Amino acid sequence: MKVVPSRSSEWVRPVTPQKPASAIIEIDHVSQVFQTSSRRDHLALSDISLTIEERAFVSILGPSGCGKSTLLYIVGGFVSPTSGAAKMKGKAITGPGPDRGPVFQEFALFPWKTVFGNVMYGPRQQGVRTAEAEAQSLALIEMVGLKGYENFYPKELSGGMKQRVALARTLAYHPEVLLMDEPFGALDAHTRTRLQNDLLNIWERDRKTVLFVTHSVDEAVFLSDKVVMMSKSPGRIRQVIDIDLPRPRRRSELLLDARYQEYVVDIERMFDESDEAGSPP
Amino acid sequence: MMSPADLARRAAPVFACIGLLAIWQIASLALKNDSFPTAIEAIRAIPDILGDKEALINILASLRRMAIGFGVAVLFSIPLGLLMGRSRAVAAFFNPLLMIIYPVPKAALMPIIMLWLGVGDITKTLVIFLGVSLPVIYHSFEGAKAVEEKMLWSGAAMGLSPLQRLVRIVLPAALPEILTGCRTGLVLALITMITSEMIARQSGAGNILFNALDMGQYDTVFAMIIIVGAMGICLDAAFERIRARLVRWSEPQFDLPLSFS
Amino acid sequence: MTARLLPTNVALGLVPIVLVIAVWQGLVSSGLAPAALLPPPGAVFGRLLQQLVTWTFQQEIAATLFRLFAGFAIAVALGVGVGIAAAANPAINAIVRPIVRVLAPLPKVALYPALLLLLGFGHGSKITLVAADALFPILLSTYYGASTVEQKLIWSAMAAGTPRYEILFKVVLPAAMPSILTGCRIGLVISCIVVFLAEMITSTDGLGHVLVTAARTFQAVDMFVPLITISLLGLILNGLLGTLRSYLLRGFPEA
Repeated sequence: MKVVPSRSSEWVRPVTPQKPASAIIEIDHVSQVFQTSSRRDHLALSDISLTIEERAFVSILGPSGCGKSTLLYIVGGFVSPTSGAAKMKGKAITGPGPDRGPVFQEFALFPWKTVFGNVMYGPRQQGVRTAEAEAQSLALIEMVGLKGYENFYPKELSGGMKQRVALARTLAYHPEVLLMDEPFGALDAHTRTRLQNDLLNIWERDRKTVLFVTHSVDEAVFLSDKVVMMSKSPGRIRQVIDIDLPRPRRRSELLLDARYQEYVVDIERMFDESDEAGSPP
Repeated sequence: MMSPADLARRAAPVFACIGLLAIWQIASLALKNDSFPTAIEAIRAIPDILGDKEALINILASLRRMAIGFGVAVLFSIPLGLLMGRSRAVAAFFNPLLMIIYPVPKAALMPIIMLWLGVGDITKTLVIFLGVSLPVIYHSFEGAKAVEEKMLWSGAAMGLSPLQRLVRIVLPAALPEILTGCRTGLVLALITMITSEMIARQSGAGNILFNALDMGQYDTVFAMIIIVGAMGICLDAAFERIRARLVRWSEPQFDLPLSFS
Repeated sequence: MTARLLPTNVALGLVPIVLVIAVWQGLVSSGLAPAALLPPPGAVFGRLLQQLVTWTFQQEIAATLFRLFAGFAIAVALGVGVGIAAAANPAINAIVRPIVRVLAPLPKVALYPALLLLLGFGHGSKITLVAADALFPILLSTYYGASTVEQKLIWSAMAAGTPRYEILFKVVLPAAMPSILTGCRIGLVISCIVVFLAEMITSTDGLGHVLVTAARTFQAVDMFVPLITISLLGLILNGLLGTLRSYLLRGFPEA
């Protein structure tokens, strides 16, 4: 497998030093231009290059409007870049596929299906045999902590529960990469913390590659191996920071950890500086 | 300044008209049916109808009844709908009655109302009034119901009386929905007008249509259909312009009418 | 709270209906309206019950219902099909949109004479008229529902490996269902109205024809009976559709 050299590669360090990690997603000089309603071109993403290692938890952090979600959609294959290309395991991404599973802020559950029906959707679509799919789905629902809610409809669940279902639905078709688009953005602070903990616990089990979009600095630092800081108009990568904190992480311990605090403060300071510099509109 | 894309979108309905007339022309040529004149024959018959003084008076009388029925219905229905939307009790009071009246064809009340009031203008106008009222009430009701409660609280805090709140907050906030109802009502007024004249068969556009059918003047029948159709399309387009002006502030709405009889 | 509120609301709703019947009875009893013009409500409802059990009247209802369902079914099939296709495919949209713009505000009853000439005086012309009138609300609300399906629902299904053409049936159609059913509800009421009118204008059977026959012979009582019948049919069909709706939309909020 050929690793395309990219701007960020110098920052990349293997997550598990014992065996060298290989790149799973390569983003190569991607730019995205949108037309605004007044028919003017808006450069949402400008020449982004980024390599994501297998089994890494990578956050894309930036202010709203910096194109971080667009970047995620390009990796998902939902949006094609205006120029440049994204690759998954060396193959160009041309559309969505079950190797990359999205989890959206809006949950995007099928309202006409129950919790069980939503989780079953992927395996059925993949042609998994019914008995097997059912067993797996039930196990997943239990794993995300919703045992007993199998026959509930999404409208009967709270926001946090909906996002748990959405996660289970995506995990059910075994994607190699999880694409999480501000998944906890619509939740209250308490629920958010619980889901962050649970997400890490689930992630620890099989360490899938995660690409996680957020605008919360401490969420990014708490969860990630690597934080990609983006700046706005046009959306560019400012800096990529490795988060060298031990795992498994406990939030209560981490909050007292001087290194954690340092990461958070450093990142926030960097964003403040760029705000003061004031990029022209 | 209009871009070519805008121009194409505006001209599309014209092309659609021409296309539909062309299909008609081809179909009638292919069918070779005596009672199915070609589009060109039908269009040729239009000047004859519009040139005939009596026919013209008939059509204008129809339009007058329609305008009166529509106007009175709108003036009556909007306040009722708004009240229903803001007061549960008023809604509970009127809803069942309206539910019962809803599936009754209003033009079918013609024979009964004719018994009481005769075949004159009052009967036909009353029927148009009934036909227009329901959709306008319904949409005003839905519009008023959807008005943000907090907007009314702000109004109350500013010292507006309940009536003032209804006129100065609920009415404008519900206006997009009300106008959707009015648009439906307008098409409905035309439909009820034609139908009532088809049933009463005494005067008006609907009467010309069916008399021509009885007398076997098929090109007149089809010419009248074009005239009535054009009335519907023009009234709707005119109303849409007014609507777009009045509710410029609202979210761009679905720009197709939901007409029904 | 609701349990106490509901009977109050029902009672409140019955008031105007009772009032209408009372005024009606009052008009007749006081002699203000001669019974030949306004028969007493008792006589009308008695006649209705008497008619409902007769074979001939049931035949009339059956004729009306047949035309109503046939026309409505065609309208649903065409409206949902074309509406979804127009929402999914820009080329189809470019053709359908202007045609709908022209045809939707056209008063369809005016086409009835043409339909009579082309399809004859039988079922065909009436069913076509019903279908033509019920079509547009269904088509428009389907189109509206299908073109406002949340993008991320579609993305979620695509990521799970759903091919593009299956998205239409597995996501767009169910997601547009609330809107489609709203259109169907309007279409159903229209079907009731139009079938009756068509039967009034020309027919040899059906409820509309019953009304016209009664009107010709000035039988006031018999004029009310078909009107009340069509109103009842409308209520029943609307109720059935409402039941179907709450079953199909059991997962949707506020359904």
